[in-house]
Amino acid sequence: MERHFSRSMDELPVIFEYLEEAIATMSLNAGAGFALNMVVEELYTNMVKYNGNGADDILIGVDRTGDRLEIQLTDFDSEPFDPEQHPDVDTSAGLHERTPGGLGIHIVTRMMDEVSYEYKNRKTSIRLIKNLAPDA
Amino acid sequence: MLEIVRTSPTEVMLKGRMDATQSASAFEQFDKLEGSCTVHFDHLEYISSAGLSVLLHTQQRLSDSGGEIKLRGLNPHVRMVFDIAGFDSIFDIA
Repeated sequence: MERHFSRSMDELPVIFEYLEEAIATMSLNAGAGFALNMVVEELYTNMVKYNGNGADDILIGVDRTGDRLEIQLTDFDSEPFDPEQHPDVDTSAGLHERTPGGLGIHIVTRMMDEVSYEYKNRKTSIRLIKNLAPDA
Repeated sequence: MLEIVRTSPTEVMLKGRMDATQSASAFEQFDKLEGSCTVHFDHLEYISSAGLSVLLHTQQRLSDSGGEIKLRGLNPHVRMVFDIAGFDSIFDIA
């Protein structure tokens, strides 16, 4: 299932409702539902924050095939942003050396089993796969 | 939706979701904390980096005056996020 969402932080509650619907439709368990919320929130807010002037809506797709959950975000009018090339966060730094920057992408790339990125003609597509546990 | 309830001067209970839609009001509430406090996560279902940012900022601020927030009752999914973020080394989590 996929749907277009307008490029605004105000759209987040609508996106969370859409994810709830997806979780119910695909019978995802609490862990898989948590990961789905996290991935979409972090990547979507990144797209809005760093490409707020993009002309088009952002497309969010979620699909489950057996024990494989696929999440795709597509920004049709964007600058390049490859989450895998994002500078890594120093998770061993002391309290006062920590900054919140980059934390979301760091968590997303570690929660998912596969992350692939494509940028062509101003279109960014990020596709993520999570292999679900048998009870998911 | 996120509920932040001060159950005593040193205890806070969270309920709901600590996501980007809630972080502005969460910042406001957490900025009122002073000294050392225990934050109860038993009823918190979800946290994203926006929520982590509120907690990090609070821990840094309180630490300057010798205080801290202690985190209790995290569900396994929320706990995993703290572990991935490496927050287990900068917060007292149990």
